[in-house]
Amino acid sequence: MMVISMIAMVIFVIGMIINLQKWGTGVTGYALEPEAGSKGSAIRFLKTWWKQVTEVSHHGHGKPILEVLVLDILFQRRILKRSPGRWFMHFTIIVGWMTLFAMSGMMFSVEMAEKFIELPFTAEQFREVLQLPNDIFGYVLLVGVLIALARRLFIKEVRDASIMYDWVLIGVLFLVTVSGFVADGIRTGDIVWNIGMSGETAMAYAPPAALFHSVISLLFCIAYIPFSKYIHVIATPLAILANKGGE
Amino acid sequence: MAKNKPSIDTKNLTAVQLMELDSCTRCGECVKWCPTYAASGEKPGLAPRDKILRWRQFMNKSYGLKAKLFGPEEIPASELEEFKDDVHGCTTCGICATVCESGINTVEIWESLRTNLVKKGIGPFGKQSMFPKLVGKYNNPYMAAPEDRLKWIPDDVKIAEKANILYFGGCTAELRQTKLAVATARVLNKLGIEFTMLGSEEWCCGSAMIRTGQIHVDDVAKNLARHNVDAIKAKGATKVLYACAGCFRASKVDWPRVLGEELPFEVLHITEFLADLIKKGQLKWVKSIDKTITYHDPCHLGRHVGVFEPPRIVLENIPGVRFVEMDRVKEFQRCCGAGGGVKAGMPELAVGVASTRVEDALKTNPDILSSACPFCKRNLSDGRDALTEKNTPGAEKLEVEDIIVLVAEALGLEVIGD
Repeated sequence: MMVISMIAMVIFVIGMIINLQKWGTGVTGYALEPEAGSKGSAIRFLKTWWKQVTEVSHHGHGKPILEVLVLDILFQRRILKRSPGRWFMHFTIIVGWMTLFAMSGMMFSVEMAEKFIELPFTAEQFREVLQLPNDIFGYVLLVGVLIALARRLFIKEVRDASIMYDWVLIGVLFLVTVSGFVADGIRTGDIVWNIGMSGETAMAYAPPAALFHSVISLLFCIAYIPFSKYIHVIATPLAILANKGGE
Repeated sequence: MAKNKPSIDTKNLTAVQLMELDSCTRCGECVKWCPTYAASGEKPGLAPRDKILRWRQFMNKSYGLKAKLFGPEEIPASELEEFKDDVHGCTTCGICATVCESGINTVEIWESLRTNLVKKGIGPFGKQSMFPKLVGKYNNPYMAAPEDRLKWIPDDVKIAEKANILYFGGCTAELRQTKLAVATARVLNKLGIEFTMLGSEEWCCGSAMIRTGQIHVDDVAKNLARHNVDAIKAKGATKVLYACAGCFRASKVDWPRVLGEELPFEVLHITEFLADLIKKGQLKWVKSIDKTITYHDPCHLGRHVGVFEPPRIVLENIPGVRFVEMDRVKEFQRCCGAGGGVKAGMPELAVGVASTRVEDALKTNPDILSSACPFCKRNLSDGRDALTEKNTPGAEKLEVEDIIVLVAEALGLEVIGD
């Protein structure tokens, strides 16, 4: 798992560098031209972005940065203004995803730390502590993902406008979410999610199910971010900040 | 494998704008609100979401992972040509930016893309290419001599040689819709406001070049801004008034950026100035206008700069006016269809958008559809005429008039001109 985590992180970092360099092929200010012979530079992007975040807007649309961070990025006010239903969908996905991601990171840290130092609790005990919040936020995520999937499948205008770029995002998210429930269900014997496995069969299949879930989570939800629609998780907050909350 | 050169480049596109392409979540809000997409019969290429998707794909083909490993993929010239047509089929009204859930500043992306393509020799669209040539030669797009800018001035209008307040008339009001300039000057005189003008020294604000992606052509836009700013400074003005939303936006937003410096004077739309006088009780009406009036927010005054309330304060204060709001106003206003070079490049599309906007107005049964921009007035009038030809009920009787002309009438002033 350690190796796969490292591979996922390396792919993510390389992908982000490629993206930053791609963005960095742009110019540094209004109506300018790229420097002659210069290639895309991640530093140039970061400098240009920061300059835009901090400069005064002549349009008069700028909002205070703290308001933008809390209301527009964390609370996703811009989506709420347009569609409360879609806001609920997106908010449940992001809250579920981020919390599960954080708890998985904590679990991974404890498992790693246990190998090198003595902790006041075991990794297994820590897993039990996380069980309830894992279940809660797993369902929060599942609700959002199911709404998103249903929208794309059953609302004609959304379905007609969907391209592979959209389907991959929601399809993978659905696969990761369901595989997490199944892996946990086989391990704990949950009546809904154990897919009919119990006893020795469950014991035999629990580790590979958990491994499958971990691998696709790492590869799709980390490594794949820079190369897919998942990039909006990074680019959208940056765009909202650069445009001071937008118009 | 030999690596090709990318088919596109990033001239005029900022690093942040390139990042914004990746921040689009394809939620489709922009598609629901886009006025040209609707007026075109929902031509897919005009949808803002589609334009972002295509340029992102162009970027990935040219600078993405695959391009890094195997060299850039060629983008056929026909695709770029089609993209150019679509990116010019936009009035730059900015509703897509207002409703964008990712907060993307789409208008500036469209303008940057237009300039990028023009620099590549692709575009602008149709007659739009005449703007820099005409304005570069005559300092206005109407091929008028400098002294023609003074012809609208009636004998009774007093314009000071120098004053703190300067009225920047704009090419359209001074050379075409002169009623607007006469009304503004007479209103200021009536209110006892000493003002000056640039007269024959006034040059085009540059909006037409900037909006159509020709900001760079022969440096015309920069030269115009430089000349106007210096001329205004020489007149000793500290406050500049505009009755044209296009000139107002260009001065407030574009001039400082084109010149790379803050303006040494305050930029105000005439409705902001009048609303302030009304609040202070310094505006005394003399005549009642007993009519139902609705108001169309010009994009360049409202959404682009945020001036929504002053025109309403002015209209609501005119005696006898029954002010009604139509559907889609203020930040969610539907564009009249004239902006972004569409009126010059795609006049049929412009009238299509205008007709829809006039239909919005007709639903409130107004006597007058007012606005605060000569381009809106012209195109809404064309939209009204198009609906009249189709025998749309109410269209024939609908008057389209600028707010400053209504103010002049309510102050008992005679308004002459075209």
